[in-house]
Amino acid sequence: MAWAPPIWFYLWLAGMAGGGYFAAFLIEQYTKATDNKLLRLATYLGIPMAIIGVLLLIIDLGAPLRFWHLFTQFNLATPMSAGTWILLLWVIIAVVLVMIWWLANKMPGRVDGLLKLAGILKPVNVVLSVLLVAYTGVLLSVSNQPMWSSTILLPALFVASAVSTGVALLIITSIASNAISRGNLVELRMTMNTLYGSSDWTIPEKVIEKLAEMDVVVIVIELLTLIGYAIWLAVSSMSGAGDALGLLTTGVLAAPFWVGVVLLALLIPLGLEITNWGKDVATKSVSRAIIASSVCVVLGGLVLRAIITIGGQM
Amino acid sequence: MSKGRLIDVSKCTACRGCQVACKGWNELPAEHTTQTGTYENPPELSGSTWIKVEFRERPGEWLFRAHTCMHCNEASCEKVCPTGAISHNGEIVIIDQDWCIGCGYCVQACPFHVPHKDEEGEGTARKCRMCIDRVTNGMAPACATTCPSGAIQFGERDELISMGKNRVDTLRAKGYNDANLYGETEMGGLQTLYVLTHPPADFGLPEDPALATNTTWAHWVSGAVTAGIVAAIPFWLLFKRKQRIESNIGGGA
Repeated sequence: MAWAPPIWFYLWLAGMAGGGYFAAFLIEQYTKATDNKLLRLATYLGIPMAIIGVLLLIIDLGAPLRFWHLFTQFNLATPMSAGTWILLLWVIIAVVLVMIWWLANKMPGRVDGLLKLAGILKPVNVVLSVLLVAYTGVLLSVSNQPMWSSTILLPALFVASAVSTGVALLIITSIASNAISRGNLVELRMTMNTLYGSSDWTIPEKVIEKLAEMDVVVIVIELLTLIGYAIWLAVSSMSGAGDALGLLTTGVLAAPFWVGVVLLALLIPLGLEITNWGKDVATKSVSRAIIASSVCVVLGGLVLRAIITIGGQM
Repeated sequence: MSKGRLIDVSKCTACRGCQVACKGWNELPAEHTTQTGTYENPPELSGSTWIKVEFRERPGEWLFRAHTCMHCNEASCEKVCPTGAISHNGEIVIIDQDWCIGCGYCVQACPFHVPHKDEEGEGTARKCRMCIDRVTNGMAPACATTCPSGAIQFGERDELISMGKNRVDTLRAKGYNDANLYGETEMGGLQTLYVLTHPPADFGLPEDPALATNTTWAHWVSGAVTAGIVAAIPFWLLFKRKQRIESNIGGGA
């Protein structure tokens, strides 16, 4: 297979990086938050994930040392060239944002010009985040492999999954970082202080509740998209489309599809989150259920990328 | 005028001389394979096998087809290549071995599953280059030169098309009612044309091959629209509506 396991992890990590940033920005807009705490968390998580994703892509190249040839072309007609530039720009802007935020905390009142720049860059990276997560789907669907190219809903499925996994990762890390702020791991707390340039980095419980609620809605959208994708494959007149669906639902990929995607990524988290809907996330049992649900979403997202990448090449 | 190949499956005896001649001329190594219950070998094209005879066994007959690069006039591999390593040199589609990074996108995009990553060698994508070194020196490709039954012909594409049409008529007169010429219009015209005794699907050829990039914009729009839905529905359900309910309660009290 030309596209090996590093590609699954890349599609998963890039999806979470872009999806997390996208969701964090939206929630801050919707709740009118001005402190950027959630967006900073998403950016801190996104940068290493995007960079690791890129390294995985390079490892999977047949001639890794020639990766720079990608940067000699600007050809938006081919998704891979478009994706190269989207990924590069996304990481650069994310790093610039982190530097601005850090300086703003270190030198309050002296970097107003830079904060204005951050005000422009933040929405720019939302657009790039959308392109980044869409790209992970478009890369596959612009091909001649029936499982990928018979429908235009693969990018839709990957976008929904990317936002869902991104939100889930934000939930896990928000609860974890709040635990660090309350706990007695001084070293870790100091590291967080340095990272944020201040000691004010806990995520309000209200925001975590919103994240959990948002994940429910996004998972429902993802479920509907998956059903749409399956129906499209079933009715497609393209040769191989029906076989591709069979491979997922009854063939060799059926077990990871039903258990790893339908149950793990969709139905189990949906059940866990709905039963805890509206409850106080500060309660231990509720926060445990939400963490469990989020872990399922994140792992299920990886299974989805893996079976689609494998299945398309079978 | 452009050069091309005409592969007449009705004349192919599956001697695999083309496979050997191709390996010889292009200095491609042999492959270790295992017996899988068929005479067909190796199982598929690879970075070091650029032409191979496919075997399809049916009641009372064998269908043979030498499978190799079609050299499409509108080539999917060329369109998706992110480094510009794949290009047309006249009518021949060439992968520049010094520029290819081995990303594998052409492997996924080709409707005929022709290019393959050369996993044992440089890691680049490789495929038939229609013996460009021979052709530019007035010779025919190695496969056509060696073919003992005349199943692989090399020449002017226009002439090959009329030869192919005549042959199709002959085959139909002999009772092959589904005989057809494949490649005249597919993918903007193929430089490797086939005379087929049965419908293309019976030989593993797509009836209506398409450029991978034909609907690229639709795929981007699909992703972007979903992002819009994922942004708008939670906003409407969780934030805006709740605020309105809360403000209504506040107003009533």
